[in-house]
Amino acid sequence: MKIEILYSEFANLFGDFANVKYLEKCLPKAKFIYTGIEDVPLFTHDKVDLIYMGPMSESNQELVINKLSKYKKEIKDNIKDNTNFLITGNAIEVFGKYIENDDGSKIDGLGIFNVYSKRNMMKRFNTLVLGNFKDIEIVGFKSQFTQMYGDNSNYFIDVVRGTGINPDSNKEGIKQNNFIATYLLGPILIVNPLFTKYLLSKIGAKDNKLVYEDELLIAYEERLKEFKDPNRNLD
Amino acid sequence: MRYYIALIVSKLAYYMIKLIGKDGTYFPGKLAIKICPDFLKHVKKPNIIVGVTGTNGKTTVCNMLIDILEDNNYKVLSNKKGANINYGIASTFLEAKGNEDIAILEIDERSSKLIYPYIKPDYIVCTSFFRDSVRRNAHPEYIINFINSAIPDNTTMILNADDLICSSVAPNNKHIYYAMDKLDTDLKESINIVRDIRVCPKCHSELKYEYLKYHHIGKAYCPNCDFKSPSPNYLGSEIDFNKMHMVIKNDTKISNYPLVSNSIFNTYNEIAVISLLSELKLTPNEIKNSLKKINIVETRFTKETIKGIDIITHLAKGQNPIACSRVFDYVKHESGSKEVIIIIDDVEDNLICSENISWLYDTDFEFLNDKSIKKVIIGGPRYKDNLVRLLLANIDRDKIVAIPHELDTPNYLDFNGIDKVFILHDLHATDLGFKIKSTVKDRILKEVK
Repeated sequence: MKIEILYSEFANLFGDFANVKYLEKCLPKAKFIYTGIEDVPLFTHDKVDLIYMGPMSESNQELVINKLSKYKKEIKDNIKDNTNFLITGNAIEVFGKYIENDDGSKIDGLGIFNVYSKRNMMKRFNTLVLGNFKDIEIVGFKSQFTQMYGDNSNYFIDVVRGTGINPDSNKEGIKQNNFIATYLLGPILIVNPLFTKYLLSKIGAKDNKLVYEDELLIAYEERLKEFKDPNRNLD
Repeated sequence: MRYYIALIVSKLAYYMIKLIGKDGTYFPGKLAIKICPDFLKHVKKPNIIVGVTGTNGKTTVCNMLIDILEDNNYKVLSNKKGANINYGIASTFLEAKGNEDIAILEIDERSSKLIYPYIKPDYIVCTSFFRDSVRRNAHPEYIINFINSAIPDNTTMILNADDLICSSVAPNNKHIYYAMDKLDTDLKESINIVRDIRVCPKCHSELKYEYLKYHHIGKAYCPNCDFKSPSPNYLGSEIDFNKMHMVIKNDTKISNYPLVSNSIFNTYNEIAVISLLSELKLTPNEIKNSLKKINIVETRFTKETIKGIDIITHLAKGQNPIACSRVFDYVKHESGSKEVIIIIDDVEDNLICSENISWLYDTDFEFLNDKSIKKVIIGGPRYKDNLVRLLLANIDRDKIVAIPHELDTPNYLDFNGIDKVFILHDLHATDLGFKIKSTVKDRILKEVK
């Protein structure tokens, strides 16, 4: 089993790298490949079971778009071939049509999905998110300068509390085949053990028990209760 | 005209607040700025203004500067009692008597755009820059962009050369660098989860270190191009944490100084202070004599020994992965056998919302997995999340106590064979930390022979 981590030298903000570390614990026999910004990604020439990329600074988004633009075809082929992707935080924006700055200037994205993002660097948007993915309740946190617009009819989460890709939407993230991208950030695989089980089954590790599964589930149930409490604020 | 109205109204507010016995509020400053948005531009200021900014260490650096300057008969204006945002600084100037020689202002990084257009510091001391609160400060690049867009051209920057992020601030301004020489405990590679700069900004090669203290702090170089840490003007050297002594090398001059703390991060703060004071032309003897009288401010650190057991309270700011990582590293390296109490949850957030716990996974809880640490007792509303984090840090289950109520934590201490009890507390849990300390003291007095 091969798991490719893209650009961990800077796509690692907000505790998201814990997702990778947790997968390493759950999949001790898997090979984890750390692809740097000057490397050719493994997925362009070899089969990979999961591709992960986490959130990054705004200037690094531009760098990543620049590097990945050479591999748009390979990315699209992998999505079509049901390769598993997990993309968290603002890394989702890299795959859209463009990112618009405060001054109206635009940075081209990879254009793989029909969405675009607008930055407001003076306003940090924070919210909890509670939603459903299939029959799994998902809990998470957003913290970002951007909102996304466009067509995410191929969404990841049906939002019950919090926001979708923007405050007027209740559809969060993108899911196409096994490509999953979400603005949710941080250790989402630790905070959502039921989703992690789903992900492990998708990458062919269905029988692997989650490390500290009981404790993760207890913390998850507590968080679910809090997120469902209408007396608790979203921020 | 607007300025004078703002001045009169806000001064009245200030005196009324003083009459009712409230202190440290920034309301008068807020009122002044609401009436006159460029109030800070017009208000009377001392001849010399020093700003202090950075992710961690601002308050410690400010307090040391104030204490030393006052000890050397400077009249100092400071915002030490109040807020480090624009309203707090406005309130500080309102309280001024008008005869102050110098202002020492702790400045919140995110308030740069609201302060620097109006207040032109002669010096800005930068401690270091790391990722901080995810909800407010996002990441260091955001903060640096904020600061760089606002810093006045003529301000001299006092920068940490061992921090490649810090040393890049305000590239067109005059730079004075400080740094720390190699220590025996230095590493070649980082063992921390967080390194906010890992690759060369010019060629993206992985950065290497001649010596590294922690995270990304150390003397760095790119193996592929000429990018490297700048050379310091002030170098803290021959640092001896046993004798509590160091020298500062500046050009050809070498001066001796006592250390105020045995921690590396506070020694960086001290070197920054000595650098700034030297630029202000205080002599080494003047600085040294004042340093001998200084203690780190009590909300940050206390130590008391009861029946041979040290009880140490130490600030460990919640939502700040670097601050907590530094403290955990410090605890690990302290001599003797220890038990550690930790209260770092955001109590208010957990009452009205649900705390974003992402920061726990940027924090090096792994340092607490050490054979000298016999037990970790973590208390607070996020105890279930904290238990998961401690387990994933590979700490033995039977060494962990995770409970909901902070004040119950001392009940789980076992003093047999223990030399030190650490109480690590969030900034907003300082009072709780002191209450816990009091319970620990009582227990030791009753139970330890």
